[in-house]
Amino acid sequence: MATVDPTPARAGDVAAKSGSLFDSAAYHRVRTLVLGALSVLAIAVLLMWPVITDYYSYNASYYNGLVASAAISAILTISLNLSMGYGGMLSMMHSGMQLAGGYAAGYLVVKVSGSWLLGIVASVAVGTLVAVLVLLVSLRATYLYFGMITLAANLIVIEVGREWESVTGGIVGVSGIAPKLGDDVMPKQFFYYVVLAFLVLVYVLQRNLVRSGVGRASMAVRESSDTASAMGISPARAKLLLFGISGGVAGLSGALYALQLGFINPDVGLLDNGIIFFVGLFLGGISTLIGPVIGVALIAILVELIKDQARYTTLVLGCLLLLAMMVIPRGVVGTWKASRVGRDKLSDPDDEALPDQVPDVVPEVRDVPAGVAALEGVGIVKHFGGVHALDGVDVRVMPGTVHGIIGPNGSGKSTLVSCLTRYHQIDKGQVLVFGEEAPAAPHRVAHAGVTRVFQVPHLFERVSVLDNVLTGMRMRETYSWSGALLRSPSYRRQDLQEREEARQLLGFAGLASRADWLASSLSHGQKRLLEVVRAVASRPKVLILDEPATGLTSSELDALARLCRVLRERGLAVVLIEHNVDFVMGLCDEITVLESGKVIERGSPERVRASAAVLEAYLGRPDLVEETS
Amino acid sequence: MSPEAIIDGLFAGSVYALVALALAIVFQPTRIMNFAQGEAVILGAAIAYQVVALEKLGWAVALGVTIVLAAVMGLLMERMIMLPVRMSGSRYAWIIATLAAALIFQALFNLGYFDVDALRPEPVIAGDFQVAGITVGWQEALTIVVALAVMAFYDLFLRRSVYGRAIRATAHSTETSVLMGIPVQRIVVLSFVIGTVITAIAGMLAAPVLFVAPATGLLFTIKGFTAAVIGGVGSPRGALAGGMIVGILDTVVRSLVGGTVGNFAVFAALAVILVVFPSGLFGKPMEAH
Repeated sequence: MATVDPTPARAGDVAAKSGSLFDSAAYHRVRTLVLGALSVLAIAVLLMWPVITDYYSYNASYYNGLVASAAISAILTISLNLSMGYGGMLSMMHSGMQLAGGYAAGYLVVKVSGSWLLGIVASVAVGTLVAVLVLLVSLRATYLYFGMITLAANLIVIEVGREWESVTGGIVGVSGIAPKLGDDVMPKQFFYYVVLAFLVLVYVLQRNLVRSGVGRASMAVRESSDTASAMGISPARAKLLLFGISGGVAGLSGALYALQLGFINPDVGLLDNGIIFFVGLFLGGISTLIGPVIGVALIAILVELIKDQARYTTLVLGCLLLLAMMVIPRGVVGTWKASRVGRDKLSDPDDEALPDQVPDVVPEVRDVPAGVAALEGVGIVKHFGGVHALDGVDVRVMPGTVHGIIGPNGSGKSTLVSCLTRYHQIDKGQVLVFGEEAPAAPHRVAHAGVTRVFQVPHLFERVSVLDNVLTGMRMRETYSWSGALLRSPSYRRQDLQEREEARQLLGFAGLASRADWLASSLSHGQKRLLEVVRAVASRPKVLILDEPATGLTSSELDALARLCRVLRERGLAVVLIEHNVDFVMGLCDEITVLESGKVIERGSPERVRASAAVLEAYLGRPDLVEETS
Repeated sequence: MSPEAIIDGLFAGSVYALVALALAIVFQPTRIMNFAQGEAVILGAAIAYQVVALEKLGWAVALGVTIVLAAVMGLLMERMIMLPVRMSGSRYAWIIATLAAALIFQALFNLGYFDVDALRPEPVIAGDFQVAGITVGWQEALTIVVALAVMAFYDLFLRRSVYGRAIRATAHSTETSVLMGIPVQRIVVLSFVIGTVITAIAGMLAAPVLFVAPATGLLFTIKGFTAAVIGGVGSPRGALAGGMIVGILDTVVRSLVGGTVGNFAVFAALAVILVVFPSGLFGKPMEAH
């Protein structure tokens, strides 16, 4: 594809501006055409494959089986991509889930009823069940330990398969699993199309899921479950959903495997067999939509080429995997997309003027009861071991104000934020949101209307700027995961509206031209702004900003200050934790000063500026300073 | 259940403890849980089988060959695992690389010994002796003593020698260690070599009694990992305690119920421990992952 000769760029074309052929619009048009033609060709070959093999080969059923098996592997690899690539959950039990699904299909088809469709339904159910059970018991486990638990679970599934002879047939397994069409055994050619149809179904399912709010929530949890919680996403729920779907797909591939080959035995579940899916995923490109399919296709071709030396297959695959990791760490698709030849065209950034008009999408808080604090901490005490990080702190943030919290380093500002948003459990005291006790889990606090922005940038760096903002909207999405999978009308409506709103919000912050950029390509100041925009997109009533001004240029500071003022006008309560005293004094209506975990002063900026206690906390005792000078 | 089962358990436990120790040795400076570690068990067993059972050259030669080849395997492993990990930058890199290394070695052993069911040489010291009415095989006793000696020696090495201190510093922070002038790269290579040699010796001692087939490397890794998690990754004493618990659990369940249920019990125990203590039994040894 790299050899495609693009039409020469005309004078005044974009190419002339950016100085590269590969960035020209014409090249992109040609590339789209070529890639599209190749896809159509691949699909046509797959559809015509039984006819082609029938015509050219005496061994047609062998070659049909080869492609069908590869398609089944691709289905399992897509499932692995969902959990590892998009969910960040290292699973070593995918071959085990395939085995479990195969058993379910085999048992139903051979011993209970003859219906293969019923077998497929059962296998999806069993796969989902196994995945959900394993995830439920390991919700608290960290990343590596989750992998080890799945490995143990994989071995347990295999042991159960070996011992539970009445259902699984023990070491020998179940054989004679054949799909039926009416009363006859279904012809293999027909089943080939069944497998192909399921591959298309699973691919579309993956695409719809990943592009919806459900997928964005999972990717947010993958990057950082703390940040996801701040967006009102429940990490446990997101993981459960994605891993459950992934398990269902793995079970489906098991049923197809059993139906295609006619048998299932415990060896199918061995990790040695599972490695081929890892190789496929990494070769094709993890966290890409088409990567798993391309990777599996490449491996199928390779295995077919060395089939005369079949005993070297594992060795070759192992070496190939190591080599691929070194040469194309992001896989074929990932490397293509990142290269000059394959990357998408991005809009040129212009330093656009900030719009004067405040767009309607900036949230507005109405109907709040008068005199009730938006966010209130009463007598908060927090100890870390023997350290009293917070020692009875009272703070009251009124709606429609900007409330500053300042204090020297180590005075407990960030701890206070974490306590108010329930990231830390408090030892004593109360947190009230609009007069009601705040819920116990961080993501529920976000649902109650309190959104925080972290001190260190917590962007989702590997997705686009627009997707970052869309993730912030996850909380108010009303469509269900099944609606997202099927792209129901209500889902489409909401999705369209969200994208429009997100672009308006970005425009208001001066980031509109960078909406399609990767978040990691922004400058530090733009990242901080984007984080605030993302938080605003969740339509909070209280917005907590932890040191947002650190490292910003003066124009970026102005943009931030302007945003804070607009939010105040709209009735939000903004809590500002900051070191930059000028910034705080110019913006805040009220300031609380912390020192060693205690409130030493509170009130208007003038009052704080004049306070002796504050001066002492920051500069030491002025009288002593004068004595030494 | 006979008291002999306990002795068998202690013997198997010493082998798992040595694997656990090797896993910890590699883990400390690299933050990598090496899935290929168990393959060194097979290497030791295969050399013992080849040299002692087939070539009849005796155990002294086997020990020499094992140490040399295991050191080579350690060097190879370091390249095979650390190079892709550094070049790829993906958070899954280490697990994929170690799995790939494990499969490559396993494929090699399978190719070399495809017609061998169990790599079983004669014991170093044949026969058994009686202690308080319990029969103890000399091979078992020797293995337990060697395991204890290796543990004690490594503990001393870690605490007393300059290199040991450097390793402990690297375990805390690679960056700071580089700043302090510690040759981190050399320490990483060294840990792979030491770990592989220890594991290979464990495999050599285990082969006459335990079932070691060419393809069982991953099983030893998992049992060693279970031992490491129970005992806490990092301390030789923890590895010892964890190894013994796994060994006794495995053997006792096997002698009570029989068959493959022993494996089942160990994996179930691993799952239960990780579920109840999400960061391991002793503190939080692996929060980096």
